[in-house]
Amino acid sequence: MKKSYLVGFLALIAAIAIIVSASKDVSTYATFENAIQNQNRVKISGEIDKNGEVVYDPIKNPNSFTFLMKDSEGLSKKVIMKKPKPQDFELSETVVVTGQMDGETFIADEVLLKCPSKYKDEELKLRSEASLSS
Amino acid sequence: MIQDIQYIGEHLWPGRIGHFCIILCFVSSLLAVFSYFKASQTELDQKGNWTKLGRMGFLLHTLSLFSLIAVLFYIMVNHLYEYSYAQAHVSDDLSMKYILSAFWEGQEGSFILWMFWHCILGWYLIKKAGSWEAPVIMIIALAEAVLSSMLLGLHVHIGDFVYKIGSNPTTLLRDVFEAPIFEKADYVNVISGTGLNPLLQNYWMTIHPPTLFLGFASTIVPFAYAAGGLFTGRHREWLKPALKWALFSAGILGVGILMGSAWAYEALTFGGYWAWDPVENMSFVPWLILVAGVHTNLIANVTGRAVRSTYIYYALTFVLILYSTYLTRSGILGDTSAHSFTEMGLEPQLIFMVMFFAVLAMTIYIAKSNLIPVFDKEESIYSREFWMFVGALVLLFSGGIIAASTSLPVLNALATLYDPEFVGTVIKDPIPHFNKFQLWTSILVMVLAAKTIFLRYKAGEWSTGQKITFAKGQLFHAALAGGMTLLLSLWIDFFHWKYALLAFCAFYTILSNAAFLLRKSMKNAKMASAVFSHIGFGVMIIGILTSGLNESVVTTNPFVMKGLIKDKDLASSVKLIKQEPFFVNDYWITYESDTIVDQIRTFKIKFEKEDKERGNIDPFYVYPNVLFSNDFSKVAATNPDAKHFIDKDIFTSIASLPNEQMDIKLAKEAEDSLKYVKYELSVGDTLFTKEHYAIVEGYTFDPQHPDYLKHTNDIGLGVKIKFHDLEDDYSEVIEPAIGVRENLLYQYPSQINELELKVRLNEASFDNFFSTEDQLEYQSFSITQDESFTYQSEEYVLTGFEKDATSVNYIREENDISIQALLLRLSDKALLKPIYVIRDTKPFNIKDHEINSGVHARMTHINPVDEKFSFMMAIDDRSNDDLVIEVAEKSRTDVIILEAKMFPGINLFWVGASMMMLGFFLGLYNRRSKRSRSN
Repeated sequence: MKKSYLVGFLALIAAIAIIVSASKDVSTYATFENAIQNQNRVKISGEIDKNGEVVYDPIKNPNSFTFLMKDSEGLSKKVIMKKPKPQDFELSETVVVTGQMDGETFIADEVLLKCPSKYKDEELKLRSEASLSS
Repeated sequence: MIQDIQYIGEHLWPGRIGHFCIILCFVSSLLAVFSYFKASQTELDQKGNWTKLGRMGFLLHTLSLFSLIAVLFYIMVNHLYEYSYAQAHVSDDLSMKYILSAFWEGQEGSFILWMFWHCILGWYLIKKAGSWEAPVIMIIALAEAVLSSMLLGLHVHIGDFVYKIGSNPTTLLRDVFEAPIFEKADYVNVISGTGLNPLLQNYWMTIHPPTLFLGFASTIVPFAYAAGGLFTGRHREWLKPALKWALFSAGILGVGILMGSAWAYEALTFGGYWAWDPVENMSFVPWLILVAGVHTNLIANVTGRAVRSTYIYYALTFVLILYSTYLTRSGILGDTSAHSFTEMGLEPQLIFMVMFFAVLAMTIYIAKSNLIPVFDKEESIYSREFWMFVGALVLLFSGGIIAASTSLPVLNALATLYDPEFVGTVIKDPIPHFNKFQLWTSILVMVLAAKTIFLRYKAGEWSTGQKITFAKGQLFHAALAGGMTLLLSLWIDFFHWKYALLAFCAFYTILSNAAFLLRKSMKNAKMASAVFSHIGFGVMIIGILTSGLNESVVTTNPFVMKGLIKDKDLASSVKLIKQEPFFVNDYWITYESDTIVDQIRTFKIKFEKEDKERGNIDPFYVYPNVLFSNDFSKVAATNPDAKHFIDKDIFTSIASLPNEQMDIKLAKEAEDSLKYVKYELSVGDTLFTKEHYAIVEGYTFDPQHPDYLKHTNDIGLGVKIKFHDLEDDYSEVIEPAIGVRENLLYQYPSQINELELKVRLNEASFDNFFSTEDQLEYQSFSITQDESFTYQSEEYVLTGFEKDATSVNYIREENDISIQALLLRLSDKALLKPIYVIRDTKPFNIKDHEINSGVHARMTHINPVDEKFSFMMAIDDRSNDDLVIEVAEKSRTDVIILEAKMFPGINLFWVGASMMMLGFFLGLYNRRSKRSRSN
């Protein structure tokens, strides 16, 4: 049975190595406060702050759009995304951005939208129709 | 209060039938489970009565499921929006060709699709499985019972807590939502369907889900055979039929996954064929484990070893399929996936489903596995089975890593259960995370696949001669592979030695397996199919290296040198102005035109290579489009387009459009917000705006505006204006126009995009050149032929007559008597041709209008006695020849934002992956003759 022990032993070592290596790839969602402090690349989850304006002028610069985002602690910062504005951006409520702080603005290279679920949409639709017809 | 309302216009019977079918579906599957359970204990079923009852139960189950499908289709096809499923998935304007897509868009529909495949597979097995029928169908029926419970739609009240069991797709909308609209008795007339998400309105949505779900459904068969083998203690006999089903399942599931990635690549803007998205991962992991199972199953068939592993792999595959269903449908993945999910409130039930089968499989295994024959002696390291076993372990490992990372949200949720303060973690950059591990598992798999194929089953210790022959062969393949890796490096970049190693291993496996195919397995068809799959895997890995590692953005910022700044800061898309070629990375790109057909606006974009000597060469076109929502109010989806070359793809998609083109509201706002400023000018005048100046060069009654197609009786006016910017860097002549056709005035504005200007001609300009009939003052003249008269200091001679009077304003009728005069103006030889007509004894005259001079001529009378012809002449009042011009600044619409990527060698990926799947079907085909012996 020596060979199977050897295979098992190698698998164990590989598993430990993988776990050690993978643990460096994960992190908790950061806040703007963390991002300002450590200046690293972080992921922040938050809401689009409707007080701010969503600015995207593709004619001036197609690879830049700006919005105001409020993180889980309630702190709002300007986010600049160096990509064209994703579709349905206005429809989404929460977003997850990946990037880092540059002074007072957060430079994101990735933004993930979370749209409200379809059923909520329908509910809204029904409600609005109901109010129209009454 | 709402309950008291008598609703009008609802169709209630489909819902009642549907509900009955669901209950029957559930109960009859339980009957089948129980009967087949009895039948599988053969001593109880001497006469086969339990089997008969089991079949009855399964038949009842199948019939009720099919009836449910029919009812649901009835509801959807007839747009019965009082049912929530119809309301959520169809709409009046949804084309019937998407009815299937709409059917399985919802979770309930996709569960039904899954069950449908179980039934089809079940009946095939009842016919073919022989003595395995009872245990195998028992397991399938058990899965059907659990799946039908997902449709029950029961609400169990435990205290204040309402626990939901299943979601019934034939539920009325008013039972799902509470909304004021249901206070109206005839609410059915007011509601409309939501329809199918535009992103899903394509043929992929028609073919991908049924294939993938057949893949999901078919994984139960190897599992059912495994359970049957354990259950009945026939630990060897189940292996052969299970292998065939595992090959079928691996092939179909693989094709299903590939279709998904082809869809993502071709129709969605994910910009690639694989993104390590949780949804992709969790269909891929069961496939990996199933393939591991196929390998141990092969070992078990030949050597009798690895039976335990085969049991475990097949059970794990099925449980992982259920687990993946839980992950993708419970909403737990949250913001880690780009796919959006709807929660049905069935999370506990989904967990139950996974746990039920996991516990069941473990229980049977623990209870029965001690009877599995074991071998005292270990496999020799010179045997094929040893290394195949290791290979299967690598696959298990690979799947385990992917599953663990993808399950991070589950781990977070579990940790939160114990510690509410726990803050969940996420993978910062998923793609590099997954790639770095799978690189090594791929390398191991390919090395194993390359050398193991040359080993023999049950081989003992090797002689030195054997060792040398083997080593020589492998060294030869490796040397060749090294050479090919060098060749490949001429085409693509490896960036890091580990990718070069990956390429080397891929070539090694391709060459080894190809050599084996040529030398040994031409006569052994079963081996040939395995070799075929291995070669496919190698080719696919090369394809991933060329297309994935060497994927590049074509439309990157052309003025920034790569390497000087970080890759992620490179712009990914460019702004293209209509008709203006733009240079990026080796290509001149021109946005040539766009067309709108139905709801799709398609852009025609030309790519050309720059060549110093021959100008631009090798032009090709791509046609990305945007899809507007059904009411045209906004852009609902963008569809990329790829130009396929043999060695690469150029992939393009519309990243954005100017805001006013994305949304009809913004478009109207944009037009309304354009501030036109009026200028009254004569020819030669100069006008100054804020940022430009312009000179009126002249006007014409024959406008050349591209949108203006002159008809003969049109009156047109165009003004030539030359606009300059204030720095005089740029100037352009435009000719805005207006035209009158059949008393309607049409505007033909001009746009100068470079100056962001829009210019139109005010209709007042028209009035300055053309008088209306009541403003004209006619003067009369009477002359004979060849005589002349003078009007407004011009001399007109009556030179003759035209017998066949023709004019745009005159259509000859039978019995008309008509005569057309030819009045020649001597100064410029212009000919005026008024007509005199007698129709039904009444005289009419039809005037001619000479636009340039503004002269109107009528022939009003013919005196047959003295042969005198009377004419009336008038002229347009052009005392004020001012042109009224309106200029709006800051207007530009002909811009698109394009993103283009290049995927070199992507065909290798598709060819390799397809070969790999084809290998499974070949293996199945080669084992077909033994089907009758499977019992």
